Amino acid sequence: MSADPLQVLASAGKGKNTRGLLRVIILALIVAAATASRLFSVIRFESIIHEFDPWFNFRATKYLVANGFYNFWDWFDDRTWHPLGRVTGGTLYPGLMVTSGVIYHALRALTIPVDIRNVCVLLAPGFSGLTAIAAYLLTNEMTPSPSAGLLAALFMGIAPGYISRSVAGSYDNEAIAIFLLVFTFYLWIKALKQGSMLWGALCALFYGYMVASWGGYAFITCLLPLHSFVLVCMGRYSTRLYVSYTTWYALGTLASMQIPFVGFLPVKTSEHMPALGIFGFLQLLAFLDYVRSAIPSRQFQTFLWIFAGAAFGLGLLGLVVATSAGFVAPWSGRFYSLFDTGYAKIHIPIIASVSEHQPTAWPAFFFDLNMLIWLFPVGVYLCFQQLADEHVFIVVYALFGSYFAGVMVRLMLTLTPVVCVAAAIAVSALLDTYLSTKSPDPEENQAVEGAEGKKGAKSGLKATNKPMVGVYATWGKGVVVSALAVYLLLFVLHCTWVTSNAYSSPSVVLASRLPDGSQHIIDDYREAYQWLRQNTREDAKIMSWWDYGYQIGGMADRPTLVDNNTWNNTHIATVGKAMSSSEEVSYPIMRQHEVDYVLVVFGGLLGYSGDDINKFLWMVRIAEGIWPDEVSERAFFTPRGEYRVDGEATETMKNSLMYKMSYYNYNNLFPAGQAVDRMRGARLPDVGPTLSTLEEAFTSENWIIRIYKVKDLDNLGRDHSSAAAFERGNKKKKVTKKRGPRVLRLD
Amino acid sequence: MRLLTLLSLSLLGFGSSTLAATKRAPEERFRHYHSKALSSAPIKLLDASYRELTSAPRDYSVAVLLTAMDSRYGCQLCREFQPEWELLARSWTGGDKKGESRTVFGTLDFGDGREIFMSLGLQTAPVLYLFPATIGPHAVASPEPIRYDFTSGSQAAELVHSWLARHLPDRPHPPVKRPINWMRWISSLVLLSGGLTASYAAWPYVLPVIQNRTVWAAVTLVCILLFTSGHMYNQIRNVPYVAGDGKGGISYFASGFQSQYGLETQIVATMYGILALCGINLAIKVPRMTDPKTQSVALFAWSGVLLVVYSLLLSIFRGKNQGYPYSLPPFM
Repeated sequence: MSADPLQVLASAGKGKNTRGLLRVIILALIVAAATASRLFSVIRFESIIHEFDPWFNFRATKYLVANGFYNFWDWFDDRTWHPLGRVTGGTLYPGLMVTSGVIYHALRALTIPVDIRNVCVLLAPGFSGLTAIAAYLLTNEMTPSPSAGLLAALFMGIAPGYISRSVAGSYDNEAIAIFLLVFTFYLWIKALKQGSMLWGALCALFYGYMVASWGGYAFITCLLPLHSFVLVCMGRYSTRLYVSYTTWYALGTLASMQIPFVGFLPVKTSEHMPALGIFGFLQLLAFLDYVRSAIPSRQFQTFLWIFAGAAFGLGLLGLVVATSAGFVAPWSGRFYSLFDTGYAKIHIPIIASVSEHQPTAWPAFFFDLNMLIWLFPVGVYLCFQQLADEHVFIVVYALFGSYFAGVMVRLMLTLTPVVCVAAAIAVSALLDTYLSTKSPDPEENQAVEGAEGKKGAKSGLKATNKPMVGVYATWGKGVVVSALAVYLLLFVLHCTWVTSNAYSSPSVVLASRLPDGSQHIIDDYREAYQWLRQNTREDAKIMSWWDYGYQIGGMADRPTLVDNNTWNNTHIATVGKAMSSSEEVSYPIMRQHEVDYVLVVFGGLLGYSGDDINKFLWMVRIAEGIWPDEVSERAFFTPRGEYRVDGEATETMKNSLMYKMSYYNYNNLFPAGQAVDRMRGARLPDVGPTLSTLEEAFTSENWIIRIYKVKDLDNLGRDHSSAAAFERGNKKKKVTKKRGPRVLRLD
Repeated sequence: MRLLTLLSLSLLGFGSSTLAATKRAPEERFRHYHSKALSSAPIKLLDASYRELTSAPRDYSVAVLLTAMDSRYGCQLCREFQPEWELLARSWTGGDKKGESRTVFGTLDFGDGREIFMSLGLQTAPVLYLFPATIGPHAVASPEPIRYDFTSGSQAAELVHSWLARHLPDRPHPPVKRPINWMRWISSLVLLSGGLTASYAAWPYVLPVIQNRTVWAAVTLVCILLFTSGHMYNQIRNVPYVAGDGKGGISYFASGFQSQYGLETQIVATMYGILALCGINLAIKVPRMTDPKTQSVALFAWSGVLLVVYSLLLSIFRGKNQGYPYSLPPFM
C-alpha cells in the first residue's frame, strides 16, 4: 500500500538525466545559500568595507581601477609610512585587486553600471559559492558516493570557519584564496589520478593565481611535496606521480616567480625547499625506475641502496652548505613560529601581538565547525578503508591542517576545507547505509558469513574485513536517519547563529542594544575619519597606532606614519616610543616626523574593549625592543605588578602621552570626583592630566576616537610646558626663568 | 709577594679584614678581586667583601647577583639562573685575563649576606645589580647600581651578556662560550647506535606494525583529536591542569571563551573521540553485523551514546559561551 508513493519517489531520481538536473539544482541552491548567509552585514548595516586590511585592499583596488594595471604594478605610495613611503606595487599580493578590477571592467563592458565598492563588498560572498563548487568537485574525487560531494559543498558553504573571513565587506585576500586553495587541490588530485600533464598544468596555473593572492600559498607549496613524499615512502611511486608533480612544480614555480613580492623566494628560502627537494628526488626515482628495467634485480638492489643513500646525503649536505653560506635564507619568522611556538614571543613581538596569531582554544574549534569537528575523524578513518593516493592526501592534509589550526587561530581557514570534505564523506557513508530501502535477508547472510568468514582478509582496516551486509531493522534506519537530520538541522542553525552574531560586524560601525531592545549604531570611527577628511590639509600627517593606519588611509585619505603592513619594525617602535614616553620626549619625535595630528582610540566612556589603553602594553613592548634603555615595560606596572589607570597608576604611566591623550578632559564629563573608566572599571583621579604640546582637536560622539593637533613651536620661544602654564595663569616660577629656550632634542 | 698577600688575606678571613680592606685603593681592590675571579668566577661574596667590592670610589664595574640558593627559600628562578650566571662570569673573566674590561662578577647568597639584603630592602631574589665605575675613564654620572629585570623568567647567559655589554660601552666584551656537553654527545651517540641495533634486530617484528593500516589510522586519529581539542594552546600558554574554584573544590572548566585548562581539553578530546567512535561504528561496524538482534542492540546503543555525549558537549559549550542558544536532550 505504502509502497506506491515510495516507489514513485525512488524512481524519480533513477534516470541519469534527472539526477544530473537535480544535482545542478541542488548545487545552485547551495551556492545561493552560501552567498546569502554572508549578507547579514549588508542588510543590517550597509554595503561597507570591514575592519582594517580590507580598507587597504579597497584603496589599492581604487588605485588600480583609476590608474590602470601598469601604474598599479609600479605603485610607490608616499602617503603611508611617512617619511619612508612604501613600494606598494612590489609588496602586495595583487590577485585580489586584479580580480575585482577585471570583474568591474567586465560588468562595465556589459553596460552594467556598478560601483567598485560594491564589487569589492560582494566579492567574498560570490567566491564562497565557487568554493562550495570546488569542494563538491574535490569530494567527488574521493568517494564513489554521489551524495558526499553535495554534502561537502553544503558544509563548505555555511561552515563558520570559512564564513569568518568571507562575509560581505570582508574584502581580504582570503576571500578568493580559499577557493583557489580548494580548487588547486582538486586539480592536483585530478592530475595525480590520471597522470595527466594537462591537469598538472591547470593545477600550476591556479597555483600561480593562488600565489598572486595570498601569502598562505606556502601551505600548498609544502603540502603537495609532502603528499608526494608520503606516497613514495608507501612504495607508491608511479609515472602518474612523476608527470603530475614535475609538471606542477616546473610551471607553478615559474608562475609564482612572476609576482614581484615573491620574486626569487621559491629558490632562495627554506619553506620552498621541500618542493624543490622532492622535485629532485622524483627525478632520481624516475632514473632508478629506468635502470631497474635494464639491470637484473640482485645487482639492482645494491646499486639502488648505494645510489639512493649517496644522493640523499649529497642533497642534504648541499642544503646545509647553501644555508650556512647564505644562498638559502632560513625560515622566515612568521613561518618558523609555527613550529617553534615560543620563537615569536621572544624575538618578534609584532607577530605575537596580532590576535590572529594566538593559539586556538578548543571552544574556537567547536564554534567554527560545530559537529563537523567530530565527524572529521570519522571521515579520515573512512579514508583509510581504501587508501588510494587521493585518500592519502586527505590524511596528510588533515594532520597538518589541524596542527596549524591549533597553533594559530587564523589557520582555521586552511583546516576548514578538509574538515568539510572528511565530514561529508562520513555523513554520506552513514546516509547511504541507513537510507537504503532494501533490507537484507538474515538467513542468506549468515550462510555467506560461514563461507567467507575463514578467508583471511588481505590488507586494509581490520574493521572492514567482513563484507557489508546492510541494516535489517527499518526502525533502526529511521532512528539513525532522523537523528542525523536533527544534527544537520542543528548545524545549520548553529552556522546561521554564529554568522549573524559573531562574524557579521564590520567593526568600523559598532552596534549596541538600547534598554528597550532597539538597535543603536555607534559610528564614531567614520565620524572621526570624515572630520579628518574635511577639516585637515590634504597632506596632514596623522600619527596613530598601526592598527588604524589602513583605515585612515582608506577613509580619511591622509598620510600615516605606520599602518597594518608592518614591514618596518623600527618605525612602529618609534611611534610606540612617542606614545609611551612623556611629552618632552614625544614632542621632538613628532616634530621630526612632521606629525600634524595624533589619533587615539579610547573606550573608557563606552566600555569598548578594543581601545589603545588595552593595546598600550604592546606599544611599550615593541618600543622597548628597540630602545631598552628609554622605555621599560616594568615602569608601567605598579610595584605590585598591576596594570592600573586610576590614581595608583605609576608616574611613567600617568606621564605617557597615550594616557594623557586618553584621559584629557575626561573628568569634566562627570561630577567632581566621580570620573570612571567604564572599560577598566577604574575610578580616575580628581585632577585630569594636562597637555602642553598638543591641543584637543576633535572628540567623537562617544569619545571612541580622539584627535589632537600637535602645536607648532612657541612664538615667543618658550618651551611648551611653561607657555601652557602661563596660559593657565600660573605664576612663573623663578626656576623656569633660568633655563634657556628648549632646543629640539635629537637622538 | 702577591702570593703572600693572598695567603695572609685568606688566613685573616674577610670578616675581620673589613677595616683594612676599605682603605685599599680601588686599583688594588680590582687587582685583588680580579685575581680571585681568575681562579673561580663568579666570586662568592660575603657581607664584608660585598661592601668592600662595591664601595664608592671605584674605577671598575661590578656585576653582583643577589640570590637565594638554599632549598628552604624555594627560589626556582635562582636555581635556574645560577648555571647561566656562572657560565657568563666564567667565560667573561676567562676571555679577559688581563682585566681590560675592568669588570668583576660576584654572587652574594642570602645565607651569607642577610644584612645586605635587609639594607637594600630586597623582598625577592634573584636580583642582578651592575655597579658602574665612579672614577677613571669609564666613570658614569650616577653611582647608583643598575638593576636587571627578571620579569620575563629565567634568562639565557647571552641575553644578560648583551645587557651588560650595553651598559659597559667602550671596552672589550668577551663573548659567552658554552662548553661542549661531552656527556650529551656521548650518550646520544650511544643511544642512537643502540636504537639502530635494536631496530635492526627487531625489524621483522616491527615491519608488520609499520605496515599495519589500523595502527596508522589510530595514530592519525589520536593526533587529530589532540590538535582539535586545543592541545597546542596548552603547550604554548602553559595553562594549569586544573584550578580551584575558590570554594575549596576543583573547577574543571575555565570560564570564558578564550581560556581552558589542561584537564578540560582532555575531557573534550575524549568526548570527540567517543563521538567519532560512535560515527565509525554506525558507519562501518553495525551494517556488517550478520545477526539481526545484535545489530539492533548495537545500533540502538551507539545512537544513544552519540546523542548523550553530543548533548553533554553542547551543554559544556554553553557554559563556555554564555548566550549560546542551542541544546539537545537530555542535557538541556
